[in-house]
Amino acid sequence: MNVSETIPSTLQELDPGPERIGAHWFSPAPMSVRQLAQAMKNCSARFVTITAYQLPRDEGLCLEYVWDLDGALLAFPFRLAAESIETIYDICEAADWIEREVHEGFAIDFNGRAYEPLLLREGDRIGVNLREEVK
Amino acid sequence: MSYKLPMGPYHPALEEPYKLEMICEGETVCDAKLHIGFNFRGIEHLAETRNYIQVIALMERVCGICSNIHTLTLCQAMEKLAGQTPPPRALYIRVIMAELERLHSHVLWAGIAAKLMGFKTMFMACFGLREKVMDVLQTISGNRVNYSMNRIGGVNRDIPDPESVLKMVEILEREIIDTIVPVFTSSGTVRSRCAHIGVLTHEKAVSCGVVGPTARASGLMQDLRKVAPYAAYADMEFNVPVETDGDVRARLLVRALEIIESCRILRQALDKLPPGEIHTGDAKVVFMPGTAMSRVEAPRGEVFYSVSWKENSRNPSRVHVRTPTFANMPAVRWMVIGARVADTPLIQASIDPCYSCTDR
Repeated sequence: MNVSETIPSTLQELDPGPERIGAHWFSPAPMSVRQLAQAMKNCSARFVTITAYQLPRDEGLCLEYVWDLDGALLAFPFRLAAESIETIYDICEAADWIEREVHEGFAIDFNGRAYEPLLLREGDRIGVNLREEVK
Repeated sequence: MSYKLPMGPYHPALEEPYKLEMICEGETVCDAKLHIGFNFRGIEHLAETRNYIQVIALMERVCGICSNIHTLTLCQAMEKLAGQTPPPRALYIRVIMAELERLHSHVLWAGIAAKLMGFKTMFMACFGLREKVMDVLQTISGNRVNYSMNRIGGVNRDIPDPESVLKMVEILEREIIDTIVPVFTSSGTVRSRCAHIGVLTHEKAVSCGVVGPTARASGLMQDLRKVAPYAAYADMEFNVPVETDGDVRARLLVRALEIIESCRILRQALDKLPPGEIHTGDAKVVFMPGTAMSRVEAPRGEVFYSVSWKENSRNPSRVHVRTPTFANMPAVRWMVIGARVADTPLIQASIDPCYSCTDR
């Protein structure tokens, strides 16, 4: 399948190339996370998940936003300058639980939304499970 | 006057912890809030402390029903990082195990759904059939729950006599098609108990990003075995049942029809099982640094794994798991709004939730 034919026009100038280790990678992500969420919504891509991880050598945190477009997996990595990023929950309802999970696991703030505890209980310390320096 | 009605953390049917807090007016649910995390085990963190052999055993324990699916997805991701391609026979055995697991999961779910409908005889019949599916799984793997079949580069056990397994599958198929499928597809009792309740509209299904039978019952044609084939699914002929009503009955119909399709795939895979090795035989596995993604169509829907590796490391630096119930469960809120309180256990069960997977 030629992914370039199905990706939204806002991304078409970028060629993700063939599938590599499981996904078509748009790295670095070509737009803001909210613009991306809107573009994906416009082309009826299905939101899959957000994978958060810490980069080696204290390079900070990275969030990979993953969408499915007609069976092709599109991955958009975002390096975080601070420990926060804008929420996409208001654009993409499916991102609600994973934003809450990432917030609890990595202590990353998704600006513009309120949280309710998901896996943790009210008052539990966030970032303990998956952030190196908090463990 | 509205009142708050908590259901859980002990589920009335599924014996797993989860809480649905409903705001009701009379007998009608006006809104609901879901609480999970009662069984949170921190498996994603634990995975970072295990080497590439141990992590397979760990991830097999994410779920007691689709344990094989978790190791399959994980191994597929690790194979991408290790540059390994399993031999054709291993890919067919993976399909056989995955479809047997789907049968097992759907039959178990059918039993629980029957129990919630007050159809106890059907519950017993389904669990009797489930035992027989587990007998087939035991014949192949030696185990009834955690099968330890997948490894990097293939599978651990061969199917030396596919014909005997095929005979077991054919007997099983006849029994399932004679008992479960007619009841769930044409019984008036099932229809009256399940039709028009717990509706998830097509629009809401898209918006919530639901997966698997829950999505297919709301008119979404998405099945990774078709749209992004893995293992040997590209060689298999099968249909993807899709219903459009979005109610409990549609979810039931989709699963009943999937049972038939699973048997069809099993017969093909056992018939055409290619000769050859069952794994690459590489004693040492070297991973390139980076992140690999893999996904598989589990009985409940798409399972997604993202596995990251650092240079010269024996352990993964990150394993992220997105399970199907994690994607489907938020949609329960929309299914129960407007429903009668008495219907809510069945509505919750209709997505075939797995709290063990969700909590990880």
